[in-house]
Amino acid sequence: MTVKKRSKPVSVNPLKIGQSLGGILAMQGCYRAMPVVHGSQGCSAFPKALLTRHFREPIAVQTSALQEMDVIFDANRNLEEALNAVLSKHRPDIIGIIGTELSDVAGVDYQSMLKSYKRERNMRGGLAFSVTLPDFRGSLESGFSVTVEAMVDELIQQAGLRGQRNVNSRQITLLPGSYLTPGDVMELKEIVSSFGFEVIALPDISTSLSGHLLTGFSPLTRGGVPLDSMLQSLQSGLTIAFGASMERPARRLHNALGTPYKVFQGTMGLKASDELLNFLHQISGVPVPIRYCWQRENLLDCMLDAHFQFAGVSAVAALEPDHLRSVSEWLDELGVEQKALITSYETPAVAEMERDVWVGDLDDAEVLGSGADLWIGSSHGIAGAERIGAAFLAAGFPIWNELGSYMNVSVGYRGAMEWTNKAGNLLMRREAEHRESSVRHR
Amino acid sequence: MEPIRKEEIDDQACGSLAPKSKPCPRPKPGEAAGGCSFDGAQITLLPIMDAAHLVHGPVACAGNSWESRGSLSSGPSLSQYGFATDLSNNDIIFGGEKKLKDSIDYIAGRFAPPAIFVYATCVTALIGEDMDAVCKEASDRLGIPVVPVNSPGFVGSKNLGNRLAGDALLQYVIGTGEPELEASMGVNLIGEYNIAGEMWDIEKLMNQAGITLLSRITGDARYKEITWAHRAKANMVVCSRALLGLAKQMESKYGIPYFEGSFYGAKETTYSLRQMAYLLNDREMERRVDRLTEREENRLSHDLRPYRKILKGKKAVLYTGGVKSWSVISALKELGIQVVGVGTNKSSDEDVQRIADRVSDDTEYIPEGGASRIIKTVRERKADIMIAGGRNMYVAMKEQIPFVDINQERHKAYAGYEGLLRLAKELVDSIANPIWKLASSPAPWDKEDSYDR
Ligand code: SF4
Repeated sequence: MTVKKRSKPVSVNPLKIGQSLGGILAMQGCYRAMPVVHGSQGCSAFPKALLTRHFREPIAVQTSALQEMDVIFDANRNLEEALNAVLSKHRPDIIGIIGTELSDVAGVDYQSMLKSYKRERNMRGGLAFSVTLPDFRGSLESGFSVTVEAMVDELIQQAGLRGQRNVNSRQITLLPGSYLTPGDVMELKEIVSSFGFEVIALPDISTSLSGHLLTGFSPLTRGGVPLDSMLQSLQSGLTIAFGASMERPARRLHNALGTPYKVFQGTMGLKASDELLNFLHQISGVPVPIRYCWQRENLLDCMLDAHFQFAGVSAVAALEPDHLRSVSEWLDELGVEQKALITSYETPAVAEMERDVWVGDLDDAEVLGSGADLWIGSSHGIAGAERIGAAFLAAGFPIWNELGSYMNVSVGYRGAMEWTNKAGNLLMRREAEHRESSVRHR
Repeated sequence: MEPIRKEEIDDQACGSLAPKSKPCPRPKPGEAAGGCSFDGAQITLLPIMDAAHLVHGPVACAGNSWESRGSLSSGPSLSQYGFATDLSNNDIIFGGEKKLKDSIDYIAGRFAPPAIFVYATCVTALIGEDMDAVCKEASDRLGIPVVPVNSPGFVGSKNLGNRLAGDALLQYVIGTGEPELEASMGVNLIGEYNIAGEMWDIEKLMNQAGITLLSRITGDARYKEITWAHRAKANMVVCSRALLGLAKQMESKYGIPYFEGSFYGAKETTYSLRQMAYLLNDREMERRVDRLTEREENRLSHDLRPYRKILKGKKAVLYTGGVKSWSVISALKELGIQVVGVGTNKSSDEDVQRIADRVSDDTEYIPEGGASRIIKTVRERKADIMIAGGRNMYVAMKEQIPFVDINQERHKAYAGYEGLLRLAKELVDSIANPIWKLASSPAPWDKEDSYDR
C-alpha cells in the first residue's frame, strides 16, 4: 500500500547490508570464480567473515587493498596488481570486479581499465566483468541482482562473438534471488527438472555453499555453475526468475536473445507453490509428479493442524525486499496478523504490496513490532526479539545462531510445511513457557 | 578529521615505539587478507560496554561488522547496538556533518550513555568531514564525552587501528576522571577484551591474590573506569603489541610502570601475577601470590593428567594474529604439544624473538597469510591439529584437519589455570572426535572389495 519511514537521523541496529556483499555472494555460485573487491582491505574482510559465519564455508574473495594514498592518486594501479596476482596464482575462470563506495567516491574508472586490461592480456576463455556497488544505496539484494545482470551481459557479449543461437526448448535458465538458500535453489532445480527440463541455475549456490564434502581447499570458489554451462544457458528456451529483483537480468536475456521469461515474485506458501507447479505443468504438458501432489496434501494437513497455533498470533518481519514480500504472503495464508514489515530499502516490488512496509532498521522493528508474538529475521534480531518478548524465527542473512540454516527450504510445498511447523513449534514452546511462569508466579 | 601523518604511520604502525620493530607491511593487492584499521579500532573500544559506538559513514562498515565479536558483558549491552549514520549519496555530496551531529544528539537523548565513540570510515575521511569539531561541539553542548576515533579503514592494518584507538583513549579519556575509592594498589589490564569471558577468570585470580583491578582496557569495561586509569600503580599489557604504545605513553606521562604478559598457560599466568605483585612493591602480596599460584598449579597439574596423556607428542600448527603467537605456544608446550608451524605475519621482531625462545629450531615460520600456505605446513609437518582464527576454521574442515578456534569469535575461555584445562579438553575433544574416521572412509559401495560375489 505505502512505503513508510520513521524519521530518525541515525540507523540503530542496521538491517541493511552493504551491496558489495551481495555481489560477493552471487560470485560464490559460479565455479572457479574470484570476486575482487575494489576497495580497502576491510571492505572485503568484513563480508568474507560474515559470509563464512553464515554459510560455514570458506568464501572466495580478494581485494585491491587500497590505502589512503592509492585512493587519492591511482587506485587502478592496485586493481591491476590485484588482477595480476589473482590471475597468475589461481587462474580463475570468472572474475568479477566489485566497485565499492570508496572507488566510487574517488571517481575511479575501472570499467575502461578492465577493458584495456583484457585487451592487453588477451584474456581468452575467461569471463571478466565489473559492477559498481557502493553501499550508500541498495542493499544485499540489489548487489546480488546487479552482479547477476553484469554477468549475463558479459556472457551475451562473449557468446555474441561466437555465433549462432540454437534454442533448446527443453532447457530452462533459473535466476534465483539472493534470499534463497542453497537448499532452496536445490529444491527449485529439482521441481523444475521433474517436469522433464534441463535446468541451469545462474548463479548456483546450491552446489557451492551447501556444504559438500569436496576435500581440499581452494582460494577460488568450489562448486557453482561452471562457465561452459553458463554459456550453454544462453540457448535456453525460457528464463524463470525468482524474486522481483531478478527480473532485470531476465529482461537482459530477453532483450538480447529474445528468451521469454517468467518472474515469480512470491516463492513461499501454498498459492506461490501452486502457481509454480501449475505453470510448469502448463508449459511442459507433463502431469504434476505424484510426489508434489502428496506434498500439497501434506502441507494442507499441516496447516490445518497448525492453525490452532497461529490463530490470533501477530508477527514482525525484518527482511530484504523480495524475501519480505514472499514471507508476507505465507503469513497471509496462515492468518497471522502482520504487525510490522520492515525492509532495508524501497523497491517497486514492496511498494506494490497490499500492506504497509517500512524502510528501516531493527530498532524500528522493535518499536513497530512491540507486542508481536513472532519475530522473523536475521540473527541480528535475537536481542530485539527478546526485548519485545517475541519468539525468534531465524530467516534471511546473516544467521549464526543455528546449524544448517543454509539448507533450510522455504520454497515449494515442502518448504512451506517446514516453515509452518518450525514457526508453530516456536510459538508452542513460548506458550508453554508463559504458562509455566504464570503458574510459578502466582 | 586531522590527517594522519605519514611518518608517524611508518615508525609506529605496529604500536611500538622501538625503532627496531619493522613497519607493518603494505597489504598486497590480490593477496591481502585481514581487516582494516577501522576494524582494529572497534575491536579495542567496543568492549567498553556501556558506551555507544557510532560509525560515521555509509552503512556497510557498521552493517557488516556489528555483533561479530565474542566480547562478553556482565551488565550493560549498549555497545552491542549497531549505530551508523548510514550516509546516502546526497550526504556524501553535501557533507554528512549535520547528520552526524543529529545522530549524536539522538543517541544521547534516547540512550543517555556515559560516552559516545564516533568512528571515521574511509568515505567520511575521504570527503574531509571535520569529525573532531563535530564531536567537540556536541560534547560541550551535551555535557558527555563524545570521542572521535580517527581510524578509517584505508590508513592501514587492523593493528594500526588498535593503536589509533589507544591514542584516542589517551587523548580523550584517560586522566579525565578520578576513582571513587583510594585505589593505591590498582593494576590496569590493557589489551584484554574479555573474549568468551576470559577477563572474568583473570579477575577472579587477581581478587584471590588481593590485587585490585583498577581499569579494564577494555574487556567488559565501563567508560568511567577508563577515565581514572592514570591512577594505577602498574600496567599489564595483555595483548603483546597493539597497545604497547598506550602503556609506554602512560609510563612517560604518568610514570606508571608496565610489563607485557599473558594468561595463556600456567607458567605465564603465574609469571604475570607475580609481576603485578612485584610492581606493586608489596611483600605480603607477593607471598599471597606465591601461595595462590602454587596451589592452582598443583591442582591444575592433577586435573590435566588424563589430557596430557593423550596430547603428549601431538603436533600443532598455530596461526593467529601476532597477539597470541608466542603466549599460546607456552600453553601448548605445557600440555605436551609440539608447535611445528607458527604464523608470524603480524608479529614484531620482539614477538618473533619470543616465539624463537619457545619453539624448537626446526619449527616452520609462516610469514604471510593465505590458507594454502598454512595447510601446506600442516601436511608437510604431519600436524595433528590446526589452531587458528575463525577465518580459517572452515578451510581446515574442507581439508579435514582437527581445528581449535583461538580468536575473536570463539566461545571458550582459555586464560588462566581454568582456561588451560578448558583448552586441553577442547584439543582432546577435537583430535579424538569420531568424525575424522567417518569422513575419511568411503561409502560402502565405493569400497572395492565390499561384496565380491
Ligand atoms: S576499509 Fe574503509 S570502507 Fe571498508 S570497511 Fe573498513 S572503514 Fe569501511
